[in-house]
Formats: sequence, C-alpha cells, structure tokens
Amino acid sequence: MELIDHLVTGFGIALTPANLFFALAGALIGTLIGVLPGIGPIATIAMLLPLTFHLEPTSGLIMLAGIFYGAQYGGSTTAILVNLPGETSSVVTCIDGHQMARQGRAGAALAVAALGSFFAGCVSTLLIAVFAPPLAKVGQSFGAPEYFSLMVLGLIAAVVLAHGSVVKAIAMIVLGLLIGLVGTDGNTGGTRFTFGITELTDGIDVATLAIGVFGIGEIITNLTQPPETRSLVAQKITRLWPTREDFHRAWPAVLRGTALGSMLGVLPGGGATLSAFAAYALEKKSAKDASQFGRGAVEGVAGPESANNAGAQTSFIPMLTLGIPGNAVMALMIGALTIHGIQPGPQIMSERPGMFWGMIASMWIGNLMLVIINLPLIGMWVQLLKVPYRFLYLAILLFCGIGVYTVSNSPAAVVLAAFFGIAGFVFTRLECEPAPMILGFVLGPLMEENLRRAMRISSGDPMIFAQRPISLGLLISAATLCVLVALPAIRSRREEAFQEN
Amino acid sequence: MSSGEQHDTHPLRGIFARKDVLAGLLFIGVALLGLYVSRNYPIGTALRMGTGYVPRLLCWTLFGLGLVVLVQGLREVPIEPLRAVGALAAWRSLLFVTASLVIFGLTIERLGLVVSIFLLIGIGALAARELRALETLAAALVLIALSWGIFILGLGLTIPVWPEW
Repeated sequence: MELIDHLVTGFGIALTPANLFFALAGALIGTLIGVLPGIGPIATIAMLLPLTFHLEPTSGLIMLAGIFYGAQYGGSTTAILVNLPGETSSVVTCIDGHQMARQGRAGAALAVAALGSFFAGCVSTLLIAVFAPPLAKVGQSFGAPEYFSLMVLGLIAAVVLAHGSVVKAIAMIVLGLLIGLVGTDGNTGGTRFTFGITELTDGIDVATLAIGVFGIGEIITNLTQPPETRSLVAQKITRLWPTREDFHRAWPAVLRGTALGSMLGVLPGGGATLSAFAAYALEKKSAKDASQFGRGAVEGVAGPESANNAGAQTSFIPMLTLGIPGNAVMALMIGALTIHGIQPGPQIMSERPGMFWGMIASMWIGNLMLVIINLPLIGMWVQLLKVPYRFLYLAILLFCGIGVYTVSNSPAAVVLAAFFGIAGFVFTRLECEPAPMILGFVLGPLMEENLRRAMRISSGDPMIFAQRPISLGLLISAATLCVLVALPAIRSRREEAFQEN
Repeated sequence: MSSGEQHDTHPLRGIFARKDVLAGLLFIGVALLGLYVSRNYPIGTALRMGTGYVPRLLCWTLFGLGLVVLVQGLREVPIEPLRAVGALAAWRSLLFVTASLVIFGLTIERLGLVVSIFLLIGIGALAARELRALETLAAALVLIALSWGIFILGLGLTIPVWPEW
C-alpha cells in the first residue's frame, strides 16, 4: 500500500537522531510553556522561528509542531492542579479537572488527560496521513480564482468561529490585511505605508508582529492585572492510574472528543481552543446526569483534552495540503517555511515528500514522548509552577527581544515589536481578539496576488469568481456562513458555545 | 459601588469607558490615518490595480466596520465599564516593558549581548509591582549565561558579546 510506503519513509526520517532530538525538544518546550500560564504557543513559536533558520527545514518544523501539540498536554496539568488554564485550550479542563484534584483524584485526572490526548494524537496523525494526499491533489487543480475564494471562505469561517464580537473580528482581520500591505508592492514597485522609514520597505516580518502582539502584549497585560492567587493542590499525587469506573466513563468521551476535535481542527479558525470548548458542551449535553459536571466529572476532562490535541494536529491539514493557515500558529508555520524558501502549497508533498512524511511520523513519536514526559515526570512540572511571574516575565521579555532581533538582524524590528506590544495590550483591553489579525496579515499578500492574477485571467471581469464552479461553491459557502451567523438563533447558540459554565 | 456612581455622574466619561466605543474609535482612527497616508498612491483600475487600490479598499472597509462597532458601543447598555487598572501601575508596566525592549534593540549592536541584557533586565524589572535589587541582579546573571550558552555557543549567532569600540 502506498500509505504504508509513505509512513515507512516518514519514520525513517523522523527516527534519525537529530530529528528525534528536535521532536523531544519541541515536546519539552511545549510542555513547559503549556504548564506555565502567561505564555502560549503562538508567542513561543514566534520567538523560536528565527532559530529554525539555522536548522534543517524538516527538523525545524518537527520542533515547532511539537511545541504546539506539547502545549496541549502541558496546559491540562496547570488546569487540573492549580485551577488556572496553562493555555486557553485548557480553560474548560479547569472546571471538572480541578474539582477531581480537590477530591483527591488529581492523579486520575492527569492520567485521563494525558492518555486521552495520546489517543487523539494517534488518531489525528493517521487522519493527516490518509486525507492529506487526496486534498493536495484537489489543491493542485486550483487556479487563482479558486484560491482567492478559498481564502475568503477561510477568513469568514475564522471570524464565525472566533470568540466574541463578529464585527470586531472582521475589523481585526482587515487591520491584519492592512499591516500586511506595509512595504514594497511586488507588482508596481511602489512603497506603501512605510512612513518614510527605510527598514519598513521590506515589509514587516510575521515573527515581529506575533512576538509583539502575543509575547510583549501579554507581558504588559499580565503585569497590569492584580497578582493571582495560586491554589496549588498540596497533596502528593500518589495514584496515577484511574479507577476502573473512571476508565469506563472516560473512553466514550475520549472517542467523542477525538472525533469532534479532528473535524473542528480542519476548519479555518478552528484548532485547539474551539475544539475543547465544543467538546465540553457536547459532553454536558450527551451526559445522562448533567448535574455532575462542575463537580469532578471525568468526562469533562477526557472529552476536551482529547479534542484540543486532535484539533491542534488536524489543523495542520489545510496548511500542509493547500498552503492556507487555519489559525495563528499555522500562519507562523507558513512563516517558517518561507524562511527556508519553501513555497507553501499542494506541491510540498510531491516536491518534498521526506519533509512532509517525516513531520507526520514525528507527530506520533512526539505524542508518545509526551505521555512519558507528562505522566511519570509530573512532579517536575509542578515544581515549575512555583516560579513567580516576576522572574518568568523577565526571561520571556529577553527571549522576545533576542528572537525579534535575530529574525532580521535589525534593531528597528525590536522597536517595532515593542510598538506592537502596546497594540496587543490595547487590543486585549478592548476585547479585540488579535489571532484573526495574524491570519489576515499572512493571507493578505497571498489574497492580493491571487486577486490580481484572477483579474488578469478574466481581463478585469469580477464575474470570473462566479463562473468557475469550485470558486462559486466556496463563495456561496462563505455567504451562507455570513447569513447564518447573523440569524438570532444561531447567534445565541454561538455565544453559548463559548460559555464556560 | 464607587465606579458605578462615577459612571452615572460623568456621562461622557462613562461613554469613553466602554470597550466597544473605544475599539470603534481605534478602528476609525487607523482607517483615517491609512486613507491620509495613501492619498497619493495611484489607484489604477480593477484590471491593472495600482499601488493604492487595495489599501484604499481596506481602509474604507475598516472605517465602515469601526462605525458599526462604535454605534454598537453607544447603543449597548453598559454592563461593566472598562475597569481602570490602578492607573499608575498600568502606565508603569507599559512604559518600562516597552522602554526596556527599545533600549535593548538600540544597544545590542554597539554594546553587545551582555550589556544590553543587563539594561533590558534592569529596566524591565521596574515594570513589576515590587522591585528587588538582588533578585534582579541574580536573574540578569542567570539569563546572560543562558542566552550566551544557547545563542552564541549553541547556535553560533553572530551577535557581538562585548561592547565594540
């Protein structure tokens, strides 16, 4: 079978000592930042992006991917033991996970979260291997109009699935598109929005924007908040193995969470966080006795934790097969590819099969490592939570600074990142989600390029988007989504889906 | 509730304490700035788009969206006005975090990694509520050793370590 051949190639590459090392490094860093509240995968991947320049592209991607799914494992530890989400994707895990911990079942909750994540990781790795090749084939038949319409659909879906106000989310995307315009226009050679600053003529690097908004912005936000009180569950974690009853109740939830997360991960705007919220809602709805939720129901840990890992991994599918990022982390992955001069798109699979399949194989290996990193070594990570934020933010600040500087070797980029840090703080205060902005920023230049090409194909007739059947279908889906989200019934359901309780 | 009373007695201040009003004004402001900066960019036609075609389109879209957000903000019943976060502490964090980074960026090429990290940590530490000099010094030393190990030794980046005269 072709699939098995591919996987054999992939494991051959993923199992080389160097790539094993980078998978482990990614898994460790991911767990670390997952456990620590106040720093997330977007900021971390942005900070480490410049470093991948010095690595083989395959090794670099393996490490960055490990950080993303590793953070899903680590985030649950903090949620369960401290009642603080280590990541936004583990917000719902706090509800029942911490209750379990207070009832002396912390070990069981941690084990269910890790094993559920591992199961979800295995399934979604397999899903990528099965579905990526046919999707890439579809992608190869796409022309400029299809790509443009696909990106429109992607951005609209990202808005619909975002937290909070739809109008604000669209505005943030437009803002991202505008920031993406800064620099020299590739077609006419004219400069745009450079404000006469020479350093801006080459445009803004995605790492600078992401480090500023997510890294620095988050530091300022955290420092302006009253110091949190951490109620670390003091008891020693003795029993790691869940009881037979826990197992019996958890496994159907793991299956449901994995299925839901795998589906939501592929959608633009989807990924880990949405999957976890949706899975919690699903568990609560499908439970026979919903009153147990919030009081330590093991399903409330198993479902969301499986879903966030499945969602994190399947969100690689559109990025790898179509070259279109579905969320901010994938946008940074595209940035990592372009650093190495690799054009993201459907041709990656045929042109660089080693990189593609090596990365997929490494995901499975990384998940296996993560179970070991997270279960027997849990005590080590708990110790980390005792590091006060006043040390942590200094380290984050420094790595942000060095990270931005090394992207472009330019002091101007560091100043720019500081400016974006202020912007990120303001956005958070005004409840404007910055993640759609990063998506718009990355997709903007691609959209403009494809719009221009499509217009040239049709000699300036915008009807080309309606005449091509695939493009028309994509645009109709986008319009349907817009209408749906405006309907009051759907609107309230959407708000409900993001409610934590 | 003192903040609620303040909110009632200062109607204008109340309006400007609403997140959506401020967000709307922010979007409108950025759009206007964009339109002003791009006023001389050639627009071209849909077939041969000039440098200014897409920027204008986006700025007008952002302007419209900003208006919608602003109107939503003015119409909504304010449930929770924007909490002022002990105003002084907020400004202090904002100022010192930003300043430390800017100074780091401006000094790293001339003064090298060691000195610029000292400056970054020293200024950055002022952003926190309490300042502990000895702790900060220790943190700076550890972080300098760590960054030297990772970036210079491990990755071989060509950042000057010591000041260049």
